[in-house]
Amino acid sequence: MRAGFLFGEVGNGLRRNTSMFVAVVLVTMVSLFFLGSGLLAQRQVDTLKGYWYDKVQVSIFLCTPDSTDVASCAGGGVTEVQREGLTGDLDRLDGLVEEYWYESNEQAYERFREQFRNSPVLDSIPQDAIPESFRVQLADPTKYEVVASAFEGAPGVESVEDQREVVDRLFTFLNAVSLSAVGLAAAMVVCAVLLISTTIRLTAWSRRRETNIMRLVGASAFTIHTPFLVETVLATLLGAGLSIGLLWAMVQYGISGFLTDLLAGQTGMIGLIGPRDLWVITPILVGGAVLLAVVTSWLALRRHVRV
Amino acid sequence: MITFENVTMRYAKGDTPALQSVDVEIGRGDFVFVVGASGSGKSTMMRLIILEKEATQGRVLVAGKDLSRLPNRKVPGLRRQVGTVFQDFRLLSGKTVHQNIAYVLQVLGARRHTIRQLVPETLELVGLQGKGKRLPHELSGGEQQRVAIARAMVNKPPILLADEPTGNLDPETSQEIVAILDRINRTGTTVVMATHDTTIVNRFRKRVVQLRDGVLVRDQAEGEYEAVEERLV
Ligand SMILES: Nc1ncnc2c1ncn2[C@@H]1O[C@H](COP(=O)(O)OP(=O)(O)O)[C@@H](O)[C@H]1O
Ligand SMILES: [Mg+2]
Repeated sequence: MRAGFLFGEVGNGLRRNTSMFVAVVLVTMVSLFFLGSGLLAQRQVDTLKGYWYDKVQVSIFLCTPDSTDVASCAGGGVTEVQREGLTGDLDRLDGLVEEYWYESNEQAYERFREQFRNSPVLDSIPQDAIPESFRVQLADPTKYEVVASAFEGAPGVESVEDQREVVDRLFTFLNAVSLSAVGLAAAMVVCAVLLISTTIRLTAWSRRRETNIMRLVGASAFTIHTPFLVETVLATLLGAGLSIGLLWAMVQYGISGFLTDLLAGQTGMIGLIGPRDLWVITPILVGGAVLLAVVTSWLALRRHVRV
Repeated sequence: MITFENVTMRYAKGDTPALQSVDVEIGRGDFVFVVGASGSGKSTMMRLIILEKEATQGRVLVAGKDLSRLPNRKVPGLRRQVGTVFQDFRLLSGKTVHQNIAYVLQVLGARRHTIRQLVPETLELVGLQGKGKRLPHELSGGEQQRVAIARAMVNKPPILLADEPTGNLDPETSQEIVAILDRINRTGTTVVMATHDTTIVNRFRKRVVQLRDGVLVRDQAEGEYEAVEERLV
């Protein structure tokens, strides 16, 4: 079979079945968009983990005059002596603590005001209610428990908080997003498979005279099947291209643009995925499209286009 | 060239056989009429030869190959040895005469200059020179059947099967078609033609194989020919 003849046949097929072709393109696009979103969410988790696990701190919040309902704060606000005792304890945890610094009540309030500058909450919170704290950078973030138990309930300490818990909550959320997206992708792939086999059945029907003659004159299975296969691969590749375009727009304008501004403003959080991550998953999407087309066509052709 | 050895063919388990214990040997270069009433099994014989269907029992051999043992991937190779023509022509209506014939060569991967050479040559063989640009609906029935014959012969198969090729044609045109098959046969092609047109059979006086309800009831070579009864039905 010559290339010119093959493309002629493919062109005829597309002209005759344009609507089905478009349907396959769109279904593939949506499937791969979900798959891509899932993969990107996963990469977002990985990127953030790498970024945050290095940076997360343990915060040791000290007693404010208001925190008397906590046992270790029975005496009201933290005293000078208690604060020095805690400093000494932190110095002794040399191997575990990478570094630590003190955030005063004024600094904490400033930061709080900056974060919630657009919020009416701000006016209702007095400066005294914002605790001063020690921010501790751990040498090994997994050793959180050791540090926490050393300070939990110590005199003058209201609470010990690991930022990792907060970050982990975000990861759980992102993982759920990722899983749902992949789940939806799986459902859409089933749709795509069914649609492609239906399309091939219909195309085979509309081309049965040609196929019959091909069979009669002794065309090989390869010759008879290839036009169908090429059409399907074209459709899914086009779908993959469109889904990559959509994902790019999402990453570029949704995440890199909008989310980064939003989050960076409030939490100083960076380490979001960008278009580069999309290029990393592009081969998976394109490969997936080709695999989808080839496997489904092969199964459908065996059933519907006898040689 | 084609051998049926004790061939029985049932379309479905428990059906009465479409062919029953048929023994026929068709030599290279033979011209054979397969005659019999409608439903007697003529088309079934054709289908077995091109492996459209498989024999239930017995063996069919074509060009020395036992078809029951032919692997699937060799079936196309077998079909390239056998040209086929049907009562209903089966031309592609959107393609011209030239394109219909060239289509065969294209799907078999022929080069363009081979196609340019073979198609006019084959059109001449069936007496359609100069009509390459016509569409099928611009041709008479007889001419359409000639196109179908040209398409079957363009890759020069050693065997030509014609299943009631004159079934849709008037007597005069029918004779012209059989005359073309005869001419093709004289160039060495083995021709098997199924028909229930007794006038044609009696006129061309070739070898006759007759079926009745799937059973072979006559096999007479060219020399020992007796007229086929007027009514086959
Ligand atoms: N596809 C089929 N399925 C079941 N039975 C069939 C099929 N084709 C033919 N037959 C039966 O096989 C017998 C022989 O048919 P066929 O070979 O077509 O006869 P002919 O060509 O001589 O008219 C008939 O009884 C017919 O009903
Ligand atoms: Mg018949």
